[in-house]
Amino acid sequence: MKVSVVIFPGSNCDRDVKWAFELCCNADAEMIWHAEKSLPSDTDIVVLPGGFSYGDYLRCGAMAAKSPIMKSVAEFAQRGGLVIGICNGFHILTEAKLLPGALLPNASTKFICRSCQIKIERNDTPFTQLYEKNEIVNFPIAHHDGLFYLDDDSLTKLEESGCVVFRYADNPNGSLKAIAGITNKEGNVLGLMPHPERVVHPLLGGEGGVRFFKGLSKWVKEMR
Amino acid sequence: MCEGDEMNKIKLIYEGKAKKVYETDDSTLAIFEYKDSLTAFNAQKKDTMQGKGRLTNLISATFLKLLQDKGIPTHFVKLLDDNHQLVKRLKIIPLEVVVRNTSTGSLCKRLGVEEGLDLVPPLVEFYLKNDELGDPLVTEDHIRAFGFASKPQVEKMKELSLKVNEILHKFLSKKGIKLVDFKLEFGMDDEGNIFVADEISPDTCRFWDMTSKERLDKDRFRKDLGNVLEAYEEIWRRIADWEKSCSAEYRANILVYLKEGVLDTQGKAVLSSLYSLGYDEVKNVRVGKYIKITLTSPSQEDAASRIKEMCEDLLVNDLIEEYSFELEEI
Repeated sequence: MKVSVVIFPGSNCDRDVKWAFELCCNADAEMIWHAEKSLPSDTDIVVLPGGFSYGDYLRCGAMAAKSPIMKSVAEFAQRGGLVIGICNGFHILTEAKLLPGALLPNASTKFICRSCQIKIERNDTPFTQLYEKNEIVNFPIAHHDGLFYLDDDSLTKLEESGCVVFRYADNPNGSLKAIAGITNKEGNVLGLMPHPERVVHPLLGGEGGVRFFKGLSKWVKEMR
Repeated sequence: MCEGDEMNKIKLIYEGKAKKVYETDDSTLAIFEYKDSLTAFNAQKKDTMQGKGRLTNLISATFLKLLQDKGIPTHFVKLLDDNHQLVKRLKIIPLEVVVRNTSTGSLCKRLGVEEGLDLVPPLVEFYLKNDELGDPLVTEDHIRAFGFASKPQVEKMKELSLKVNEILHKFLSKKGIKLVDFKLEFGMDDEGNIFVADEISPDTCRFWDMTSKERLDKDRFRKDLGNVLEAYEEIWRRIADWEKSCSAEYRANILVYLKEGVLDTQGKAVLSSLYSLGYDEVKNVRVGKYIKITLTSPSQEDAASRIKEMCEDLLVNDLIEEYSFELEEI
């Protein structure tokens, strides 16, 4: 399985996610600089990692969404390729309009960095197939701008079309409908604020994220 | 015509002293071909100078583009090549409008006034386009009495001529050229809209070098001063880079704010801080962004549309934010 991890100026979870893919599913993970114009042709999964791309200036993810590589990422998604945006990567996906919604500053106005109980809303996605439906997992969050926002009508549509994949059990940041992670309508682009790559080894305090990566590997194998 | 041009000359409609006018595939458009010939004193004096047609074509296109950029309606559509330009096909009003900033030429001869007097405000004169009569001076009463044009048309021509004078005068001063006087013609489209037509070039204007007072126009030919082509080339040399040089600097003051109903955590935090300082009268606080951009642009409209693009492209997320901006020339 070939994973392309895009590095933006200010990304800081790129190596974590590369390591998680290597550890959990022995994947070939390659780092791709944001100024590149194209993804490696054998890419199975694109990851936009967490961090502070462009220092979160203007709006989180706004400038990264306009990076040269993003055209290629959008085309990859258009063709049905799996794209994952974690934390700041989620910001970038919404700014690039590959996912609906926006992420506002946390309702508490504070940066929150702690483990969080996340409910798996759907297990029929490439990202969650090894989890049980409604299972509660512990994924850490670490963000200042994680309040998921969407206007009322679009939010209703998002819920109705089953695009909500992860939901906070305790809603730490004030997200509408406690939404922690969503996919696009087609189900191949995922954005989530929690960090599954930070819980893939007992030394990290948990292994709740292992099945996230193993599930992806299984999905890609089966699709081949 | 250069290869690949979509416009074809179909039929010669008119041949004048300095140019030919052709019909095109599009009945609303015409092609001007600038000739290398020079005439003066109602064609009593004639000559041909190779390269002159190219210069008047390019110079005229530049002035007309400049005027359009400043909001003056002109017949100019686009430059086709060195000797041809595409223009709107208009019904020409049979009057020439002359604007004078400095006394010279026929004005001095007719009234016996001294040459070189500054005319403030500038004089606007109308001449009847009639070669047989030698294009005689007419008054606004003549125009009305004999129906050469209607009163609103005369007023519009006068207004546009003075605006053109202001724009060209300002532009040429920066190039070290004094705009002494010039002639304009006007035409109407099917809806009766009035456009500046014909040409604006050293054939139809008087240009004096500001320092040397040297004549850089057709007077060199009229008065046998020599170096006619060189003078036309000098004008072209000074204005050829107008697109860069006439673009102005603008400052856009852009306000970006969260839409009503979108939670503003910063605003909330500031509100509670204000309360704790005792500002109990505060009802609500919304915090937005202020972005100041300076840019160069050929016109204010152009600058505004570029700023709008920037807002929609990057500066504003229309799902959660709204924006407004003010633009000022600096």
